This record gives sequence, structure tokens and C-alpha cells, in this order.
Amino acid sequence: MKMFKAIFMANVKEYLRDKSALFWFLVFPLVFVFIFGWVFTGSSEPVFNIGVIVHSENEMTERVVDGIKSVDSFNTYVEKGNGEGELVALRNGQRSLVIEIPEVNSENISMTTAIEIPVYYDVSKQQTSQVLLSVVRQFFTEAERQIAGTPRIFNIEEKSITAERLTDFDYILPGILAMALMQLGLFGSIQFLTLREKKIIRGLGVTPLSRVTILGSEVLLRLILGLIQTVIILTVGSIFFDITIVNNIFKVFAIVMLGSITFISLGYMLISFVKTAEGGNGLIQVVQFPMMFLSGIFFPHEMMPDFIQPIVKALPLTYLGDALRTVITGLPAAYPLMTNVLVLGGWLLVTLIITIKFWRWD
Amino acid sequence: MANSGIKVKDLRKYYGKVKAVDGISFEVEEGIIFGMLGPNGAGKTTTIETIVGLKKKDSGQITVFGYDIEKDKEQIKKIIGVQLQSPSVFPRLTVKEIIDLFGSLYPDPLESEEVIEKIGLEEKAITQVANLSGGQKHRLAVGLAVVSNGKVVFLDEPTTGLDPQARRQLWEVILGLKEAGKTVFLTTHYMDEAEKLCDKLLVIDHGMVIAKGSPKSLIRDNFNESAIEFTDPGFSDLEREELIAKDIAERHTYESEENHIIFYTDEVPDTIKNIIDFADSKGKSIDDIKVRHATLEDVFLKLTGRVIRE
Repeated sequence: MKMFKAIFMANVKEYLRDKSALFWFLVFPLVFVFIFGWVFTGSSEPVFNIGVIVHSENEMTERVVDGIKSVDSFNTYVEKGNGEGELVALRNGQRSLVIEIPEVNSENISMTTAIEIPVYYDVSKQQTSQVLLSVVRQFFTEAERQIAGTPRIFNIEEKSITAERLTDFDYILPGILAMALMQLGLFGSIQFLTLREKKIIRGLGVTPLSRVTILGSEVLLRLILGLIQTVIILTVGSIFFDITIVNNIFKVFAIVMLGSITFISLGYMLISFVKTAEGGNGLIQVVQFPMMFLSGIFFPHEMMPDFIQPIVKALPLTYLGDALRTVITGLPAAYPLMTNVLVLGGWLLVTLIITIKFWRWD
Repeated sequence: MANSGIKVKDLRKYYGKVKAVDGISFEVEEGIIFGMLGPNGAGKTTTIETIVGLKKKDSGQITVFGYDIEKDKEQIKKIIGVQLQSPSVFPRLTVKEIIDLFGSLYPDPLESEEVIEKIGLEEKAITQVANLSGGQKHRLAVGLAVVSNGKVVFLDEPTTGLDPQARRQLWEVILGLKEAGKTVFLTTHYMDEAEKLCDKLLVIDHGMVIAKGSPKSLIRDNFNESAIEFTDPGFSDLEREELIAKDIAERHTYESEENHIIFYTDEVPDTIKNIIDFADSKGKSIDDIKVRHATLEDVFLKLTGRVIRE
């Protein structure tokens, strides 16, 4: 026990003094949290620059322009005349849409032919344009209804169905945590390779310290780092981005521990097939990078093509992300929590067996 | 005592066809400084690493204070301290921290302050290992062997790469260990070191023992003559052969690298006269000629026909 404590403290000091490891541990996941946080929350409603070209200044035109201006997500620019300026702005990408309002007055309104309202948009920005066009269409339909005095038959009442106020970020934050735990677990094994390569393991072999104790202290350090990482990410998430933890925090920690130990085991399994720290780093990169994007920790995996689905469903990160999402935000999960736990446990068992079989101390 | 010291019987360790250690036997009595002497690749490190449990022997028997190195491996580890040739420890720990760490692995360690003072690293106590110089790292490695406060301290080439002052300082540490009743097992390829420190020597080459005994007895047994050494004044190969063929001394050697010719003889004045006369007859003059007692270096040269340092 005395020996375990001594080697554990040595590991802690060694780790804390490694500036680059600290960077990856502390800064990298937080960078993810802040970037995704700012992108997916806050004033999340996008603002569009809309150009309006008017040809006359009568009451009717003014009402239409005011109507357009009152749309929340529109930033409206009005130009009188032939609209040269606004069309150039559209071409330069400074406007998302330009609406031209022809001469309207109470006389030509009552005519039976519809008034043509040209709407200019950038074809290359299909998606934005389609959304905006439908907004504009809806706007004029509404305007027409009011002017014509037609009674409303249907009225859409907008109601949110989720009880908690959930944003896209609630989906992503557990994903970031899962990613951080995966990296912590996988890359943690490199330290052993370094110790082995530098013959520190061998050197300690002449002391009464057993090698299992050395490895055990490494694993404990990673688990503690995993917990610290969890606390940091969840704290930052709740302070800056309003993440609410809907479940018992101990349940969160339990899943975090299971996930950490699974990825630690996977990391040690991977390095039992390489000789050097450099080789280990390469192999782990090859494994962790695709896993990060294929596992659905950042977006629902249904969005990925069918042929990738079997891979997605095999990756442990998918289940860790899903489990964390369930216990942290209570978002509808892809799998029952028990399934997540069992799959992670299965991965842990298999990687552990392979590790023990192929492990090399020196 | 039957259960004291180290006993090695017919130790063998082969790597494929290379016979690193080929049937070595010796005994190290408790409380002495035992030295294993030999050139690089002679099998010194393999022997030491086998005794401390880093390598598996192919055959033979080794006991350390009565413990069998295979059956009682864990027992042995508690009573020894080991310095390996390539010292490597956690690079970001400080000198004091790493000594404390190693100390905590043993039942009755020395205080880290005491160890640091012994190895003369007081000023580097709070320096991270990565920032130490090669020589300082080396001294630290010795410190890590000493901190265990075990019965036996193994030192694999403890002074290699050290400057003369640091070497002398380390010699004091090693002699101090003996005074404290420890058994010291060291390897070296420095003859002066072996001569100065060791009570008992084992000279090995190509994995085999070629001589053993105290430094004095080794010299006495192999040399009762003096060595006459002088710088080659520029003899041609032919002239050199002629001089040697004159049979002016019992034995001779020629160190081509340092350009030295050495004759070993009982008849010092006659031999010197012969050498100078010969040089005169060839029109060469010998500027430096010295007579000295034989050293371990000479013993080694005689036993192996080679200089120890490559």
C-alpha cells in the first residue's frame, strides 16, 4: 500500500508537470465545449440580411416594408429607385434575399390581376434561399389576407413539446464528455509505452515494486482524471451554457467510470501490439479519429449512410455517448441504458482478455 | 557463514550462438568490495543483471544471502540496491522526489538528504531529473542503489563517464558503503578503480573467468618484474621487429594506438641499455623512458593480449 501510494504520487507529479498532456487534458475538451456551445446555443436564431427595393413612397408600400422589418430574424435594408445597390450587395453575398416592391397604390390593388413581386436570391445558397422564400411567401399571403379582409380559418399555435429547455448543445455536451473520456483512456496507455521505452519499467524491476502495481497506479490516475474531466466539462456546461443535469450525479459518475475503464482497457489492448510510444500514438490516432466521427456523439447516427450503420453500432463510443446523454440530459436515447452498459461491459471484457493475452512488460 | 554473501556456480547465458556468459563461478564474501573487471562485451553486465533478476540464466546456480535468485526473487529484491548502466527514472520528478520514491520501496531506507549528500547533488536536490547532466544522472543512479540500505549494493560501471573529481567522490561513497558493513558488487573497466577499491577481483573476458584474487595477488602472481615503457621514436616495422627479435626482455607489448612499446623484465638496467643502444645504432633517440611496477592494466594485457579500453 505504501508502495502503491508512492508510485501513484510519482505518476501524479510526472503527469502534472507534463505541460502538453495538461493541455490536451484541460484545454482541448474545453475548446470543444466553448465552440459547440457558442454555435448551438445563445442567440441561436440566425439573422438574415434582406434587401428591399421600393419604387414609390405611399402608405401601402410603407406598411409592407414595416411588415418585412418586423420579422425577427430579418435585418432589413431599404433602397428607393432601380435597386442597383441592393442587387450588387446580393451578388456580393451581403444579402440573403432582395425583394422588389413595385408601385402599389389603392388603385392597382383592387385590380383582378395579381401584383408581381420579384424576389432575387442566390441559387448557390439553395437551402437558405428556400427557407427565406417560404417565409416571404407566407408574409405576403398574410398581408393579402389582411388587405382582402378574408377571415382566418386555421390558426397555428406554436407549442414546445419538451419539458426541459433543450438545445442542440444538450445533445452535444455529453458527446464532448464521451470524446474526452475516450481520449483520456486511449492515450493514457502511451505513458506505459514511454516508461517501457525509457527502460523505467525495467529499472524499477530491480526494486521490490511489482509491475502490476505500476500499471495499477496508472489506471487509477486515469480514472481520477476522468472524474475531474467530467466535473470540469459539466460545470462549464452548466455555468456558461445552461446545461441541466436531469439525472442523479452518481449515476453520471458511474457511467463515466465504466466508460473510462473500457477505453483504458482498449488503449492497453492497442499498445500491446506496438513497440514504441510513437507507434502507439499512431495506432491510437487511427482508431480514435474515425471513432470520434462515426459514433454519433456529435450528431444522431441516423444521419449517416446505411452502409456505415453496422460500424456505428459496433463502436463503444456510440454507447458511451448514448449512455451519458441519457443520464446527463435525459434526451431521448437510441438505446436503453442497460444496453449501453452491457455493450460497454462487453468491450471491457473482450479488450481485457486480448490485452492479457498479448501483453509485454518489456 | 553459509548463508552470507553471493555464490555463483557455473553461470551460463547464451544469446543464440553468442556465449555472453560461459560458465562463470565465484563467491563474494559479506562485507567486501567485489569487482568484476573486463572489457566491453566481456559479460559483466549480463552477469550482474542475472544476479539482480533482470535476466534469466540458462543454467547455473546463484544464491544471494542464501536466497535462490529464482525461487526467492522477491526476498532478494528487498535486501539489495541496484545501479544499472543506463539510469532511467521519471524525467519530471526532482532528485529528492525520485530518491524518496525509491526509498519508500524498501523496508529500512536511508534518508534522502543523506543520500543526496553522499552523491554530492545537494545543489540539484530540487532539479528535475531531465535537467541533470549525464554525470549527475549517473550519480543519481548510484544514489538510488544506496538508498535501499540493503545488504548488497550492485553498481554496474558506476564511474563511467564521470570527470576525475566526481570519480574520486564516488570512490569515497563506495568505500563508505564497505565501512557501513555493506557488500559491494561492482563492475568496471577502469584498472585504477579496481586496484584502489576492490578487495577481490574477477577478471573476465569472452564470458569466461581468466583470473581471480585480490588486486595485489593478481599482480604478484602475474608479474614479478617491472615494466619499461617508452614512446616509439619512429622505428620502421622492420626495425621494431628486429628490436623485439633481439630478445632483450622476457616479454614485450606494442600499443600501436598510443605508440608505446613496453618491455617486462627483471633486468631493468641491462634492458634499458639494450634499448638505447639499439636506437642509437639506428640513428634514433629515445626521449622518454620510464620504469614502473606492473599494474592491473599489465595483468589484463598479459592475460588477454589486449588493452582493456577500446
